[in-house]
Amino acid sequence: MSEEEGISGLQRVLLNERPRLLRFIAARGEGDNAEDVLHDLWQRLADAPSAPIADATSYLFRAAENLIRDRRRSSLSRMRRQKDWHDVSVSDHDSPVGERGLIAREQLRAVERTLAELGPRADMVFRRYRLEGIGQSAIARELGISLSSVEKDLQKAYRALANLKTEFDAD
Amino acid sequence: MNTDRPQPDISPEIMEVASAWAVRTSGADFTDWDGFMDWLDASPEHLPAYDAVLARVDGAAEVLASAPVADAPSREWTTDNIVELPAPRRRWWPAAAAIAASVAAVVGIGVFDRSSGPELIATAAGEQRVVELADGSRIIMNGATSLTIDSDRPRHVELAHGEALFEVRHDEANPFVVVADGTRLLDAGTVFNVVADQGSLDVAVAEGAVIYRPGQDAVRLNPGDGLSRANADAAPVLRKTSPEGIGTWQSGQLHYDGATLDQVARDLARNIGRPVTLRGTSASARFTGTLALEGEPDQVFARIGPLLGVTFTPSGEGWIMSPPDGPPR
Repeated sequence: MSEEEGISGLQRVLLNERPRLLRFIAARGEGDNAEDVLHDLWQRLADAPSAPIADATSYLFRAAENLIRDRRRSSLSRMRRQKDWHDVSVSDHDSPVGERGLIAREQLRAVERTLAELGPRADMVFRRYRLEGIGQSAIARELGISLSSVEKDLQKAYRALANLKTEFDAD
Repeated sequence: MNTDRPQPDISPEIMEVASAWAVRTSGADFTDWDGFMDWLDASPEHLPAYDAVLARVDGAAEVLASAPVADAPSREWTTDNIVELPAPRRRWWPAAAAIAASVAAVVGIGVFDRSSGPELIATAAGEQRVVELADGSRIIMNGATSLTIDSDRPRHVELAHGEALFEVRHDEANPFVVVADGTRLLDAGTVFNVVADQGSLDVAVAEGAVIYRPGQDAVRLNPGDGLSRANADAAPVLRKTSPEGIGTWQSGQLHYDGATLDQVARDLARNIGRPVTLRGTSASARFTGTLALEGEPDQVFARIGPLLGVTFTPSGEGWIMSPPDGPPR
């Protein structure tokens, strides 16, 4: 990936920031896959639209962070899928579909209750952000509150949901 | 490689800091990546905590996103209720839209080309109508609704009773006012829904903001805020609601979040155009979920009965809504 012709400005920044990015990837627990991650990142930057970017280095780290999150998600759901298949195949005599529906409903209630306990604003901020994909600053504008209030609401929600461990770890 | 599985034994303090980082690193203007790396490297527990926060919040968001359309926290449901959701409401909506559009043309031009002073516009139960105002604002009236518009005061609407969705062209200098059953609601740039019914009032804001009773006891309602008042003397109660769900009765869907069956019955009557009488059901029962009103009334009632946990029995012109285990005769 050292070809100078036709590479984007962001890719140039990547080459420049390679040592720090490698440290970051290692700190994020993907040290063994560092080359893979860098390669994926390179590809993503090639596909990225060439809109002006205020802070290219931060953009790069954010892209790396998102990439690692995606990798984690897909490995997690692969593990879940395998486990689901296992659960279904061993216990198909007692209505796994109904049972899973029941668990799903309990989980939904637990999440809704947890969010409701934070108060309507934090509940709404979390839903706007995570379910509707509205950015933190757009939410702040919409609600007429400061960006740091939005951040605090989200932190409250993240903390509370992270403590809701049993429901999601169990299955 | 560290584990993807959330660790159950991470200390709450670390989880709290990890949650804060998880939010910050997701923000579009986050720049402190060095600080984040330093924190990750500071303890072997930090990375698993951070990953656990991300995984659990993802899990929670997935659970919320896959929420069945109908879900009633206060009732015991069988799985069948959840699985057999109302069918998509295709057939009903285009017809309603066409009717609404044609009415809009008639009402919009018919009313405002002449300067006729106050004019009462009413819809029958089951009928919808769109009123286009001179300033580009729109009022979508639900069934059994009556309101007064005045060409001399085009930004002042009196909602005598019923339900209407207001899509207001905002003008800072000339606020839009809705007087709902005697209560003033001041728009601040807005799409909002109002139900007024014999002193009871319900306001839900989809976009912008509405000031309930501007003045000393004003309440500002932002998007997703709802306010309801049981009667003219009752204190208003605030609630949160989903902005996307507001005004969806236009397309034959009623969204609820903890609504009383009494409220559901009144909405059904207004939308379907037949009286719905509540009999023998618990006053504390609450419904959360979505009712699709596609089809003939008997089909609709047959479908939504199980969702609401009630039985609908035809009675004369209307229907009686009663507990499933004993429709009173």
